[in-house]
Amino acid sequence: MHILIIEDETRIAKRIERMTRDFFSENLTSLHRVDELSEALEFIKKQPLDVVLLDLNLNGENGFDILSKAVSESFHTVIISAHKDRAISAFEYGVLDFVPKPFNQARLDQAFNKVLLNEKTTEGNIQLLAVKKKGGIQLISIDELQYVKGAGVYTELYLRNGKKELHDKSLEKLEQLLPHTFERIHKSYLVKMSEVENIIVRSGSKYIASLKNGEMLPIGRTKYKSIKEKWL
Amino acid sequence: MIFKNLRLILLLFLAFSITSCHHKKVYEDMGTLYKVGDQQEWAAINFNDQNWEDRLDLKGGEVFWSRTKIMIKESPQEFQCYGVYFFNASGEYEVYWDGVPIGRNGNPGKEKAIGPTGSMWRVYKIPFELTTEGEHLLALRKSLYYYPNHIYFHTLIQDYEYLLESPLLYTAFMHITAGAFLIAAIYFFFLFLGNKKEKPTLIFSISCFLFFALIIMEFIRTYVPIHYSQHHIRMEIIAYLTFFISILIPLYFSLQFKYAGLKPIFIIYLVFLLYIFYREHGSFDYTSKMMAITSWCFSFGIVIWGVYNKYKGAITILITMIICAIIFKLTYFDTSLFAGFSAILLGMFYILSVKAKEQRLAYENSLVQSTRLRLELLKKNIQPHFLMNSLTSLIDWVEESPKKGVFFIEALAREFDLFNQIESKTIIPVGLELELCRTHLEIMKYRKEINYVWEEEGINEKEQIPPATIHTLLENGITHCAPLSDNTIKFKLVFEEKGSHKSYTFLTFGKLRNTSKETKGGTGLKYVKARLEESYGSNWSFSSRSTSDGWENIINIYN
Repeated sequence: MHILIIEDETRIAKRIERMTRDFFSENLTSLHRVDELSEALEFIKKQPLDVVLLDLNLNGENGFDILSKAVSESFHTVIISAHKDRAISAFEYGVLDFVPKPFNQARLDQAFNKVLLNEKTTEGNIQLLAVKKKGGIQLISIDELQYVKGAGVYTELYLRNGKKELHDKSLEKLEQLLPHTFERIHKSYLVKMSEVENIIVRSGSKYIASLKNGEMLPIGRTKYKSIKEKWL
Repeated sequence: MIFKNLRLILLLFLAFSITSCHHKKVYEDMGTLYKVGDQQEWAAINFNDQNWEDRLDLKGGEVFWSRTKIMIKESPQEFQCYGVYFFNASGEYEVYWDGVPIGRNGNPGKEKAIGPTGSMWRVYKIPFELTTEGEHLLALRKSLYYYPNHIYFHTLIQDYEYLLESPLLYTAFMHITAGAFLIAAIYFFFLFLGNKKEKPTLIFSISCFLFFALIIMEFIRTYVPIHYSQHHIRMEIIAYLTFFISILIPLYFSLQFKYAGLKPIFIIYLVFLLYIFYREHGSFDYTSKMMAITSWCFSFGIVIWGVYNKYKGAITILITMIICAIIFKLTYFDTSLFAGFSAILLGMFYILSVKAKEQRLAYENSLVQSTRLRLELLKKNIQPHFLMNSLTSLIDWVEESPKKGVFFIEALAREFDLFNQIESKTIIPVGLELELCRTHLEIMKYRKEINYVWEEEGINEKEQIPPATIHTLLENGITHCAPLSDNTIKFKLVFEEKGSHKSYTFLTFGKLRNTSKETKGGTGLKYVKARLEESYGSNWSFSSRSTSDGWENIINIYN
């Protein structure tokens, strides 16, 4: 597990570090602390990461600038902030958890457990997906998203307008963040159920979801039963 | 508002034109001839005056006669009588109409012996039967002891009742106007007593009073008989009143429109006005007219300047001034003087009301601003960034070292206590402000684990400063500077008193963080500026900039 702590209050950063080490113990491969935005961006570019613990108010800077950058990356973002009022908008951006200050070990462990156990975020109401583009980050509304296809460590987002965008997060991570209207119908597909028009059974136990736009997506054999139930 | 004002002025203009209009002219004046001497038959209509002259050189006091041929074009209606009105007429005289005596003003030829009697404004009734259509004769037996060269006189022949009533009516109207200006003068004088800084209010009050006096002096003739020997006193007073009003009006406009080059140009104007006043002394109406024109021109220039600089109300005044000029062009000087001054005074009144509104709004704004600043100050300690980060660090300290945790709590308690002391104040002793800063650093030491160093130079703890100004600059320093390699950030406050101003220089020695420019400047500086404005108006300056060592803020407070 590679973890980065972005926090400008030394005492608090040390506390997070201590609690993180306690939780992950030998599962922790690397843990770094930075206290400045530019430093953080530099670090994210160079090092592979699994989780970033981010303070939203960094030396007076607006944390939402770095937030959209962070959530477009492959790692999960957990916000640790004094500004509880910003939790809703943070979740809309697609953070895994929002830990309000002051926090204790138990609350932080809860966040780490989501990372570890691939739990779906419960408080979350993700509205946007941040996609890296040339020259910046593009925010895509979740309403635009039809389905997600796994492509190795990346994913492909298929949108209503017929366009396809690449996202750095894995299918598993997006599954955690996306709302319950999205179902994992196959090891490579995550589909918004309202987009499914029909479920077709073909010979040789082949199951296919036919979407409203005419596309056909395979349904995994093990998933068929539960998908059919939900769809009905 | 502009139209409301315009309507008022137009109404006033109308009122003047109605009162100053005349009845249809019923006669023709065919010229006057004079002769020194005293013979009763000179009153007769048929007397041959061929060798009489149209001018005389008098020594003063001797009796002379004048004969004026009058052509009555329209005889009076039944039960109506004509009268002859002498206005502004010098001398003491007896009046004969077609040889019949119809009245007497004073004692011609005995002025020296008996002393001044009579008045300059008189009306005499002409017997009905002597006003048939055709030629008639108005003869005066007269003496001019005091002003022997004032032999010419003005008459008006009209319906007798009209001649009696119309001056009274006109006077009544003008006195109503005068009353309004007197009340305005008193009201604005009281307003000025309430706020002695408001010089324009005082000037307006004095102008209104002088204008009131001017109207009274002008129309006093209707009900107080003025002998021609004393007439110059009244004229003198009117000239002085016009002179002072002519000074005050442009002075008022230049104060209201903050005309920059006031002094030198005003002095030139004053010299010019004085020159007119003395050069033309004696020809009173002409002097007043010249002074009023000069005053108008100078005021007009200032109003143009006001319009150019977009002062509130300047355009209304400009329109008023133009209307004044039109009135001047269209009416007699007497009318235009009063209508013009009335219009200008109304304009001045309008500016005062505009200014009063501005002041009220500014006051209301300042109240809102003060409340906002107070809230902002209160918020400093309960805003989540400060409070929650402090509490999180505090929990950590308590868990690790309860003893240090206690110190931390004490520092927090001190800061809360200090904020409590200053929260309702707009200005506090520097000593208290510095204590607040030092306590804040104490807290931040526990949170950031940076070695903050505090230095002071030349501080006078009794000086006053708006609350949390240095504290805000300190917060900015903490936020925007990273520690030097030895993990220290040094803050230094230097106070200097330099004759015309006091200055606080607040320096941060640290590594400037690589943050966006906007954030560097923005946070808290609005608060600092608003506080300085609240306490010092515009007598302050503030600069905030990065230096090679970190950051530098300078607050200058001018005396």
